[in-house]
Amino acid sequence: MMNSNKLEKVDSRDAKLSMAYFYVAFIALALGGLAGLLQTLVRSGKVVLPWGIDYYQVLTVHGVLLGLVLTTFFIMGFQFALISRTTGTFTNGARITGWVGFWLMTIGTAMAATMVLLKEASVLYTFYAPLMAHPIFYIGLTLVIVGSWVAGGSMIATYAKWKRNNPGKASSLLTFMAIINTFMWIIATLGVAATVLIQILPWSLGLVDTIDILVSRTLFWYFGHPMVYFWLLPAYMCWYAIVPKIIGGKIFSDSLARLSFILFLLFSIPVGFHHQLVEPGIDPAWKYIQVVLTFMVIIPSLMTAFSLFATFESFGRSKGAKGLFGWFRKLPWGDARFVVPFIGMLSFIPAGAGGIINASHQMNAVIHNTIWVTGHFHLTAATAVVLTFFGISYWLIPHLTGRVLTKAMNKLAIIQGIVWTIGMSFMSGAMHAAGLLGAPRRSSFSEYGGAAQAQEWIPYQIAQAVGGSILFIGIILVLIIFINLAFFAPKGETEFPVGEVADGAEKPPLVFENWKLWLGISAALILFAYTIPFIDIIQNAPPGSKGYKFW
Amino acid sequence: MAKTEFNTKKKIKVEHHESDLRGTLASVFLLGFFIIVTWVSVWMLFLDRF
Repeated sequence: MMNSNKLEKVDSRDAKLSMAYFYVAFIALALGGLAGLLQTLVRSGKVVLPWGIDYYQVLTVHGVLLGLVLTTFFIMGFQFALISRTTGTFTNGARITGWVGFWLMTIGTAMAATMVLLKEASVLYTFYAPLMAHPIFYIGLTLVIVGSWVAGGSMIATYAKWKRNNPGKASSLLTFMAIINTFMWIIATLGVAATVLIQILPWSLGLVDTIDILVSRTLFWYFGHPMVYFWLLPAYMCWYAIVPKIIGGKIFSDSLARLSFILFLLFSIPVGFHHQLVEPGIDPAWKYIQVVLTFMVIIPSLMTAFSLFATFESFGRSKGAKGLFGWFRKLPWGDARFVVPFIGMLSFIPAGAGGIINASHQMNAVIHNTIWVTGHFHLTAATAVVLTFFGISYWLIPHLTGRVLTKAMNKLAIIQGIVWTIGMSFMSGAMHAAGLLGAPRRSSFSEYGGAAQAQEWIPYQIAQAVGGSILFIGIILVLIIFINLAFFAPKGETEFPVGEVADGAEKPPLVFENWKLWLGISAALILFAYTIPFIDIIQNAPPGSKGYKFW
Repeated sequence: MAKTEFNTKKKIKVEHHESDLRGTLASVFLLGFFIIVTWVSVWMLFLDRF
């Protein structure tokens, strides 16, 4: 925290770098959002896409642009700004590295997007083998990952330099959190890089004929689950360390926040099997062990919930709130920077509860591959995370561009949050309900030969289209606000809020920044959870599969 | 020396006493209750179907 009070503003050169990432993120939001609208309309059974546009192509555009591009670019831009603000301006070398990362990621995105638009890569955002896309799609995704490593390396180097120059001091909380998230991302992406470079790329280039599907899916989900935490942790950074400042309160506990982030680093990665619970070929005992490790993630999630309630209550009581829940009314309900992320926090309650159901082995059988899962991650990623990202944009974009959020834009931002809540309640609610009735995910509209069960799903699919249309209005509102804040809002100074710890709070123990310890435990847990089952998967592998293109 | 230590301890004790987090306690209980109810609901669905 010691540096945060001195450095009030992000250096303009660092601001340009962050803004470059945000421009790509918001373009992805516009295109990916449009694709999402089209999907819900097709699935209602009332709309057929013109010009031979395929549902699965649109689904791939939606998943890749929103799940992979929007999130990764936004997070990189956000973390560059956070570190610049709370640790210090980047050196020229680190900033240039950040730009190299940006261009690698952008070129990779353009390559992958071109192949999807040319209908050469309708493999959905999970790109499961044996669906086989054009090699350029995989090379593009590889560049996105490599670019994110380069950008992440720039952040870690900046942090390491600060540590060398400030021995024995704790880093700022926000920088610490950004570094944990970057380490987690790098460790996780090793898995997806391995499957793409060793298995998928040679196979799509025709160098080998077949692919081991279970190995590729295991490596994908070794990456896939920490990826969702890579999305979530920047939202938690805002909730723990920025929202307290916005409301005028204090961070409840710096040490508790750091501990919860360390627990996320340890328990987000060795848990990929909970996405593969119905998959044959993995020993159930190892599925059970990874489910136990998955449930460990509930601990830092509940610590977060406690900490946020405590921050809000402490603030409300300091303003004279009475009664059990009187503090709730004292929160700044007219400030979009608070209200929009707050809706995100609330949505994480049903989202987290749904996640515990998904990870429970037997109950996974009830919802596996149904649209319940889609409903689940539209509450986590597409509400809790994305609304928090929008809330961050409402102060960060004007801070970086030297503008201000006007009262009219603040009001529009709150309306946007409400529109999103209504749209998502319809869409995600209907997805959860239809999923419990067995409606499949990743499927275009079908009456399944007039099956009675499929008829039950149709009203819910219409509700999804209603929700999807309302959400698209929400996306238009966000884009209006983003363009306003980037180019047209009045010039002025906007605060970059950085939370302060409560008076007289203990300093965080330095053991939290003993990276050899935490990265060592993380590696040990990963090796424990994966080594034996992975050897087993390879030794008992069935014959490989050739590639398929169903589009 | 011993007197100083005594004073520090006393101060911490008073601060903890003053922080009123009854609402937080109630909120986390409600949250836990919600998680249990949703989990048990789908569990019942599982028992019913399989």
